[in-house]
Amino acid sequence: MSSLRFDQVCFSYGNAPCVVQFSCNLAKGELVGLIGANGSGKSTLLRLGAGLLTPTVGQVELDGKPVRSWKGEERATRLGYLPQSIEAPLPFRVGELVEMGRAAARKDHLLSCQEVLAAVGLDGHEQTPLSQISGGERRRAFIAMILAQGGKTLLLDEPLAGLDLRYQYELLTLLRGLCQTHNLTILLSLHDLILARNLDRLLVIRQGQLLADGLPTEILTQQLVQQTFDLDPRFQVVGIGE
Amino acid sequence: MKRHPLFIMLGCLVLVLLLSLSLGQQTVNPFNLDPLQLKIVLDLRLPRIVVALLMGGSLGVAGAILQGVFRNPLADPYVLGTSSGAALAAAFGLLATQGTGIWLVPGLALAGALVTSAVVVSLGRDAWGVRAERLLLAGVGMGFFLSAILMLVMSLAQADGVKRALLWMAGDLAGADWSVVPVAGLLMLIGFVLALARRRGLNALALGDEVAFGLGLEPGRERALLVLAASLLTAAAVALGGIVGFVGLMVPHGVRALVGADARRVLPLSAIGGGMLLCLADTVGRSVLPPVEIPAGVVTALIGAPWFLIMLRRATNGGMR
Repeated sequence: MSSLRFDQVCFSYGNAPCVVQFSCNLAKGELVGLIGANGSGKSTLLRLGAGLLTPTVGQVELDGKPVRSWKGEERATRLGYLPQSIEAPLPFRVGELVEMGRAAARKDHLLSCQEVLAAVGLDGHEQTPLSQISGGERRRAFIAMILAQGGKTLLLDEPLAGLDLRYQYELLTLLRGLCQTHNLTILLSLHDLILARNLDRLLVIRQGQLLADGLPTEILTQQLVQQTFDLDPRFQVVGIGE
Repeated sequence: MKRHPLFIMLGCLVLVLLLSLSLGQQTVNPFNLDPLQLKIVLDLRLPRIVVALLMGGSLGVAGAILQGVFRNPLADPYVLGTSSGAALAAAFGLLATQGTGIWLVPGLALAGALVTSAVVVSLGRDAWGVRAERLLLAGVGMGFFLSAILMLVMSLAQADGVKRALLWMAGDLAGADWSVVPVAGLLMLIGFVLALARRRGLNALALGDEVAFGLGLEPGRERALLVLAASLLTAAAVALGGIVGFVGLMVPHGVRALVGADARRVLPLSAIGGGMLLCLADTVGRSVLPPVEIPAGVVTALIGAPWFLIMLRRATNGGMR
């Protein structure tokens, strides 16, 4: 049973095709990475998955129904989406953000406010204004908000950006734990190929098309990386096998 | 703990009210009034205090809404030009009918506020949505333009038109009476209740449209309802006493520093804080240089404009986008 399904999805901004014939099934409990060069369509795919954009052709299904056909609260209860750019021009406090996540969904919450904050390493910061914490902590506060929503499917656009090595690993460990204990499905875009090897599955895209789909250890080769990022063939990426 | 700021603000409000009843051309003891003083207090000061409370409260709430909806800590009805739009439309009503009909001025003010909001938003956006700086510039530009037309209309209309226009644009509460209080109070109430009902939308829009959508909301719909609420409140304020700047700008910031940014707490406390600030400004304006009365709007601008510049500096240093 898949939780999120892309079926022959195409999307273009005006005349410029951005996603081309993209199909994939995300199974329950999977931690999936989305890899691709800048402008390859990663964010657009995540927006399509979240229902922010409507495919020009094809269908995106969440829990067996087109994602756009779910009512707002139903959708928020099932799916959490974190965009890449997160800004809070007003001095919200960390606890207020988590409350917003909880208020968005129906009341049967997966995790309590405390559990959510502990999970992202922000316990004790409920009253701290977002303006007084670092960029990485702010990102974790937003992730706490998405987790508080309690959705079983999470779409995270570069959630590791701006985090230091320790929190990158801790967040990935947290997400993996959630996939295992609560059967969450998580699709996240990322740029770090070494971190990507810790995921269950990778989707590699180039110019809006699916280039490879499979186990990181199997599909991540020098050749694929060169093709994905249009690298000079003489350039070898450290830590990636032949 | 959560209730403390509310009690502190209500305590301050009572002090301001007593001060405002006591001070003016003649200082009185509100607990011991002779018949003449009682008449002064009931006929002159009380309506003025009520008008200041309603008007300041409306402006405070409108500012809190606009800052959240447009994700811009420097937004308020004055900066965005909606006050000027409301005032211009209301002025036409005043001139055309010599002020008959209690609905006319507030109604036209509402129409003016709505039209101006729509124009400023459309000027302030590009293909990617509303831009913070662009919106501010559009608002300031529209404000100048509409104020100029207001001056023109008033000066063409009659001999003392310019003075009236100036007083109105300076936010003078000296002529305050009970006549507009019921209708303006109703507009304020509807705007306030609407905003409070959409508090989740207000919180979410402050984090951006994509986050708001992820939280299960329709950003466009929420924004439209909240701008409507802000327009109702702006219209109420303008109908009560003309154009007063900076109350809507300063009050929500002070409130957020006390209780955080959650609209559930910011909206009610901005109403109390705004009323209190304008009442205080009016009291100061009529008591410091008797017999001269300084319009309340001048007092708020004297405090607010330097504060705006400090905020602007902080916002650009802190990376407002």
